[in-house]
Amino acid sequence: MSKSRQGFGDACRAATAALSVAALGASAPYAPAVERPGRFERSYTPRGAAHFTLSNVSGDITVTAWGRRTVSVLAITESPAAIEDRVVGTDILVSVKQAAPTIRADFRIYVPANTSLSLKNVLGKINVSGVTGDIVVTSFESEVRLQDVQAASVEVRVTTGDIYFDGQLREGGAYSFQSMKGDIDLNLPGGAAFNLAARALSEKINLGEFAKGLTGVTKGAKMVSGNHLAGGPRLTVTTYDGRIVLHKK
Amino acid sequence: MACQEYQELISDYIDGTLELGEEARIERHLADCDGCRAVRDDLLQIVHFSRQLPLHTPSSEVWTQLQTKIAAERPTHFGSRVAAWVSRLKNLELNLSVPQLAASAAALLIIFSVALIISRQSAETPSASSLAGRSGTAGMNLLSNAEDQEIEEKIERLRESVEQRRVTWSPELQVAYDRSIRQVDQCLATCRQQLSGDPSDQVSKDLMRDAYLEKQRLLEGFTKF
Repeated sequence: MSKSRQGFGDACRAATAALSVAALGASAPYAPAVERPGRFERSYTPRGAAHFTLSNVSGDITVTAWGRRTVSVLAITESPAAIEDRVVGTDILVSVKQAAPTIRADFRIYVPANTSLSLKNVLGKINVSGVTGDIVVTSFESEVRLQDVQAASVEVRVTTGDIYFDGQLREGGAYSFQSMKGDIDLNLPGGAAFNLAARALSEKINLGEFAKGLTGVTKGAKMVSGNHLAGGPRLTVTTYDGRIVLHKK
Repeated sequence: MACQEYQELISDYIDGTLELGEEARIERHLADCDGCRAVRDDLLQIVHFSRQLPLHTPSSEVWTQLQTKIAAERPTHFGSRVAAWVSRLKNLELNLSVPQLAASAAALLIIFSVALIISRQSAETPSASSLAGRSGTAGMNLLSNAEDQEIEEKIERLRESVEQRRVTWSPELQVAYDRSIRQVDQCLATCRQQLSGDPSDQVSKDLMRDAYLEKQRLLEGFTKF
């Protein structure tokens, strides 16, 4: 490691220590018993394509596909003991104990690309990139960003928060995005074929260049449906208070 | 890019303010570089624990001192207020020509007119939040069949259960719950409002049904805490 990198790392560690001490010293009436600040770190090596489930309450979740066969989980939290994990075959389950819903845990997860994901959260950003396995994201207050995704099935459901999807739609796949309050932006290849059902209660639906190739169109004040090119994958998009925009890659 | 350059971007990466391409490039690098991952983890810890720090509210003594100082500096007479205002305008060093002044006046007039129209419209139309406020379970009669009634009853039971549990939650969780339930109620109110204008509006009916299911999901989620 170069000198400057080492210096930067040392500065970070010093700042971490100082902030940790400050956080420990801070008293809040609702705070659970504060344990030693730390990390929850696990690595799993499933024998085949894994199904990873994370049930978090508060905190950011970032999942990145990498070229290794292991699933690596790092959570930064003041209470690592409040996180539990279980492995059943190729199913990996990590969750914040429901008896400890007040803790915040920020997760960084690396998975083999073909891992299927089920991510549950109450509040905190959710980012997923490079995954080809199925994805289900449910949260209440979360911005959700799915990037470079090539899954056959994607379901995102949030009460409040924007949703961004960038990826490819697979033949026979199902893609569903719903936000009660938030914009939904889908970044798709120009040649993507799909059956679209889009509903926006209060704002506009902008199909951009995809409007040209849409056939069998049914259009109303709050909805658009139709087939783009040959049709195929089902693309269902709903927002109650926000806009829907399809972007061509 | 060298590791040092990546590390300079890690802070922005954690804040989510990077361009998409840059973000993807960092992700790829982090997946292969233990050193940069260590730096990122350190920064994550800093961000995480700084979020735990309490917000400090100034004491009433500080507020009183501030108020006293503001009062002492504030001009009391109308004349001196006008003088202070003119002085502040002078400090802005506006060098406007007559046409520029005329254009500015016209722009101000347009802004004032638009604001007036908007305020009148909002006074005439009940807002979604005011409708949501009086929604509760009222208005559910727009959904009439047995299945819908079942959803309504389930929602009511779940709501009672959540209300009993919420006292044990952190303020953060309580606020998240309140905001979410208010948002769903607001969506329901908007659907209801649109259906009352056009009872045959199938899209609003479907959206209303989905909003009830969302409310059920929300309440079920919070009954676990």
